[in-house]
Amino acid sequence: MTRKPNVCAEIEQDLIAVATGEGPAAMRAQVDGHVRACRPCARELERYRAVEHAIGTWRVSRVDTGLARSRQRIEVGLADLRRRLLVARVFDSPLGPILMARSEEGVTLIEYLDHPGSPLRSRLAEVAGVEIVEDDADVEAFYRGLLEFLEGKRTRLDWPLDLRLARSDFQRAVLRTAAAIPYGAVTSYAGVAGEVGKPSASRAVAQALRWNPLPIVVPCHRIVGADGTLVGYAGNKVDLKQRLLAAEGVRTVAGHGGPQIDRRLMYVSYPAEPLYCLPSCGWLVTLEQPQRLRYFGSQDRAEAAGLVPCTDCRPDLHPISQ
Amino acid sequence: MGQQPFEILVTAHHGEIFRYLTRMTARPSEAEDLVQETFLRAYRSYRSLTPDANVRAWLFTIATNLTRNHFRAERRRRLAHSALSESRTELYGADPASVSQLNETQARLDAVVSNLPLRQRVAFVLRKVHDFDYEVIAANLTCSVESARANVFQALKKIRQSLKEHDLVTEFER
Repeated sequence: MTRKPNVCAEIEQDLIAVATGEGPAAMRAQVDGHVRACRPCARELERYRAVEHAIGTWRVSRVDTGLARSRQRIEVGLADLRRRLLVARVFDSPLGPILMARSEEGVTLIEYLDHPGSPLRSRLAEVAGVEIVEDDADVEAFYRGLLEFLEGKRTRLDWPLDLRLARSDFQRAVLRTAAAIPYGAVTSYAGVAGEVGKPSASRAVAQALRWNPLPIVVPCHRIVGADGTLVGYAGNKVDLKQRLLAAEGVRTVAGHGGPQIDRRLMYVSYPAEPLYCLPSCGWLVTLEQPQRLRYFGSQDRAEAAGLVPCTDCRPDLHPISQ
Repeated sequence: MGQQPFEILVTAHHGEIFRYLTRMTARPSEAEDLVQETFLRAYRSYRSLTPDANVRAWLFTIATNLTRNHFRAERRRRLAHSALSESRTELYGADPASVSQLNETQARLDAVVSNLPLRQRVAFVLRKVHDFDYEVIAANLTCSVESARANVFQALKKIRQSLKEHDLVTEFER
């Protein structure tokens, strides 16, 4: 014995649609006609309308227990994520594949890669506690700035720096000092050591710069050996160092230990002094820490760094012939 | 890029995402986890969102995906169903003598909804509580618009069958 269904099968979907107010006019008319003649379906339509009404009351019922605590957890989670999150991308730069990563605080890592590929195949993989998100419009903006810099269209990269990947306070101090060396100027490891207040620590300075997480932005390429040789850059990429310096107007000559700068042909300044001099200026021999001298490839660069010609040696009147 | 700060988005949508996930899950603690994860996930990809994107629908889609993953994992542990039925009562109190007819209907609706299969539950709640159109629901379920509607209708049929005669009459005659 089959039980008579309480609604006509062919119209049930339409009953629901009409009861929920979703049916078009033609469907409503059809359902109206049907339920006038069919009592079970008329009852069913009323039932579905009643369901709709019950749902209307139910949907506004409060389920807000724990709402405030949930919000608090989001704040905590977001604060933590913001600290850990690095957005990274690998670009195909004129200097080869290059990885750039940034945090909310600023640019965090620039790394010359041997192979193009995922950011995970970089130093980022070694950093504990960070979360890496690939690709990001902001990283792209940094990269465009970097390209302009490499093309010489821009002489400053005034990016906020996130030095979290520095390994010690000493390294951070070295990086900050290096970041302050002006465009087109060169100094020595000993000079940086003097500036961070540890004049005898030039080896430690070299070591700290070896793991520079932000090459180019923290211009460790502007730091050379005591005899002017372009020692060590990003491992053994001395040619890159030479290229970066050339783009800034610093010429190099062949030396015994590889390319080197010729300080006899460069203008000279001293940190925190507003002057630039000829290398023969008598003032220079009176300095206590001559290793801190900075050398410029041209007057233009020295003046772009905000320096004025020394009134004793008058580099403006006696330019060095190159 | 003219994008509003993420905090504004949290403030604007936290309440409804919380209510959505509370209706989707069994225990309040699960809902809390999923709400947090929804916003953390959203934060990770917020910047790559196109300016014309429907942020609200996008957030709900993240929440739905997380819910589905969550239940998939739960099912693997064969816990989902039993946990679901017991905890709803725990959440809403189960003393029948003390609740009015109206509350009883509401409680029954809670129970029916939480026992719907996940796809129907998602479709029903998105449609009937959060007023999304079928396109958004279809995107949440990765199905066609017709299938999204069918899921809502299936849910309505089940609700209609589960509500007792007096639930409906009482509601209707009010």
